[in-house]
Amino acid sequence: MPRWRVLAVFLLPALLLYSVFIIYPLVTALNYSFFEWRGIRQVGFAGLDNYRDLFGVYPYDQQLWRAFWHNGLFFAGTMLIQNTVGLLFALLLFRYRRGKRFLQAAFTTPYLVDPLVVGYLWSLLLNPTFGPVNALLEAVGLDSWALPWLGDTRTALPIVIVVNAWQWVGFPMLLFSAALAGIPAEYHEAARVDGASAWQTFRRVTLPLLTPAIGVVSVLTFIGNFNAFGLIYAMAGSTGSPAGSTDVLGLLFYRVAFVEGGVEAIGRSSALAVLMFVFIFGVSLLATAYFRRRERMLV
Amino acid sequence: MTRRWISGAIGVLALALAACAPGGGASGQGDDAGAGADKVTLSLWSWRVEDVKAYEKILAKFEESHPKIHVEFKPFQATEYNNILATGLSGTGGPDVAQLRAYGGLQPLVEAGQLVPLDGKVEALSGFDGKLLEGAKGYRDGKIYGVPFAYQTLQVLYNKKLFGDNGIRPPATWDEMIAAADKLKAAGITPFAVAAGPDATWTLPIVHEIFGNARYGGTAFRDAVLRGEKKFTDPDFTASIKLIEDLKPYFPKDVVAVKIPDVQALFVSGKAAMYPTGTFDLAPVLKADPSLEIGVFQVPPPPGSPVTTPVTPGWADGSFGVNAKSAHQAEALELVKWMATPEFGQLYANELKQLSAVPGVTPSDPLLAEMAGNYAANGAPYMLLVDFRYGQPNGDAVFRDELQKMLTGQAEPKAVAESVRKGVEQWFKPGN
Repeated sequence: MPRWRVLAVFLLPALLLYSVFIIYPLVTALNYSFFEWRGIRQVGFAGLDNYRDLFGVYPYDQQLWRAFWHNGLFFAGTMLIQNTVGLLFALLLFRYRRGKRFLQAAFTTPYLVDPLVVGYLWSLLLNPTFGPVNALLEAVGLDSWALPWLGDTRTALPIVIVVNAWQWVGFPMLLFSAALAGIPAEYHEAARVDGASAWQTFRRVTLPLLTPAIGVVSVLTFIGNFNAFGLIYAMAGSTGSPAGSTDVLGLLFYRVAFVEGGVEAIGRSSALAVLMFVFIFGVSLLATAYFRRRERMLV
Repeated sequence: MTRRWISGAIGVLALALAACAPGGGASGQGDDAGAGADKVTLSLWSWRVEDVKAYEKILAKFEESHPKIHVEFKPFQATEYNNILATGLSGTGGPDVAQLRAYGGLQPLVEAGQLVPLDGKVEALSGFDGKLLEGAKGYRDGKIYGVPFAYQTLQVLYNKKLFGDNGIRPPATWDEMIAAADKLKAAGITPFAVAAGPDATWTLPIVHEIFGNARYGGTAFRDAVLRGEKKFTDPDFTASIKLIEDLKPYFPKDVVAVKIPDVQALFVSGKAAMYPTGTFDLAPVLKADPSLEIGVFQVPPPPGSPVTTPVTPGWADGSFGVNAKSAHQAEALELVKWMATPEFGQLYANELKQLSAVPGVTPSDPLLAEMAGNYAANGAPYMLLVDFRYGQPNGDAVFRDELQKMLTGQAEPKAVAESVRKGVEQWFKPGN
């Protein structure tokens, strides 16, 4: 058999599955978004009406931008907390090897649990009426710290970001650990011989060499954060409680598609799904290209 | 992360495939059931997974009087039911008879032409309460698409023992109710078990109905809005929203973070004395503590109300309708006809502890009977659910978000009213 045929035999099953389960639904959603719907009946071509509705019909016009902004904050907060802490853990485990295996396993355990479950557990812990967190704070005399955490518009989103980081911190840690292990020891030795301080070594040698890992972590964090749903749904409900302060695009989609279930639901929700996909896909491509260029500068 | 995409994709695909499937008769393959040669099997779909036993008992009675029909009860998860039903009705393998959502929830099926109009086919419907029948009608064509099975009423449940211990009687005036709440609060008891947390936003418009229906003017206000004579920015409606803000001190602490199970626990454990809620919460509360002595009262009209008698808001829960693609339309029609008889209504009320929509049925439970009596005497529609769910955004969806905002101190009652007006005006045209 010629080589291409062998290749085809191996590639075809995957390609088929990929087309049926990924490409076809995506194209279908795109198609749906251009029609006017009454229930599950298409009544005619709508052009860009569904898209215009998302930007023009109250309250979606406001909720769309609010959700988008919150996704942005969610991403920024996750980069700042989850990924820097993940890097810190990786560095510490690289430096001090005692208990490395155990700690790595411990830090990664939460992501074996479904985000819905994690969100539910934390909402129980933070419950103002029966939750142990506030009970503990009050028991040690920190009454003023016993806030309604998920019931305050100022604290709700930060809490969600922290809980999300708590769940996923093991992921950047593992990736950074692997990348650190791949940096030849000579580089660090050379830096030390040249009299570089620990910070200088990290800033000028380690960090630049981590660029590929930083790129992967950033892009995956971005994709995950802009598709966020389960955790926030479990902690803040489909409306992004309280008062929409944790509303994100995933929740908005869920509400338009399933909760309100009006006759226009399929068209509008498909339009939103297409917008989300185009944005996430586009930014991911740009980011990947950017990090590739940075990587090439390393060589 | 990609897994979420894939599962979503599979869902969309399933929907698409089912939509493309060639049309034809729905399930009901009587022969497959292995029964007699001319015995027909009907499939009945429902979102009440928890009611399987009760329905089997009820349907056995139907089969006694209709020996040639066998009914298969097939329940699905309530949260997924709407999509499963819309898909099922569009192709083969769907139900012959289906439990249908009411009002706006029914509309997508009506507009897609998936149901059989029952006008003139089920005579008993003419005796049904007109308000409840609206829940089973198409919004534009006004035809009846289902036989209503139950209705919900809204009122305040109270803990009889706590009332007795604190020397409180069910209030006859608004001021008496506030005085009772003050007394309970001073005794360290949460007066009103109200939740406004992430799972509870949908209950906020219900709480508003219970306390504010008389204040905004009940049915008369609703009719005026439908005719286009009044808007939600009306001073009376705004005043009814303000009531909720004024009552906040009597709700649990940090109410915006409090969830439904929390308030149920507060009420059941005697830490909260009054629970403004619907009929649907009676069963879960009594299940948690069957010995709990519960009373019920209608909120007395607040000062300045256009309506001077207490009001019990209510709405139709849903109905049973016939699939337009059913291969056994005649038999399916027999079943829904039977569902409009007092025999079914009484069985339904007794087995499921719900208020039957069939006229002339009295609940055996004294509390339910009291609620039914209140509704019969002072019923009014829960207007945001009944009339304002026919387009996006839903009236009550906008309202619940804004009420929650108000309880966090970020919106004035006036702004809440303005948002509701703006939301429903995106699709609502008066006079339709």
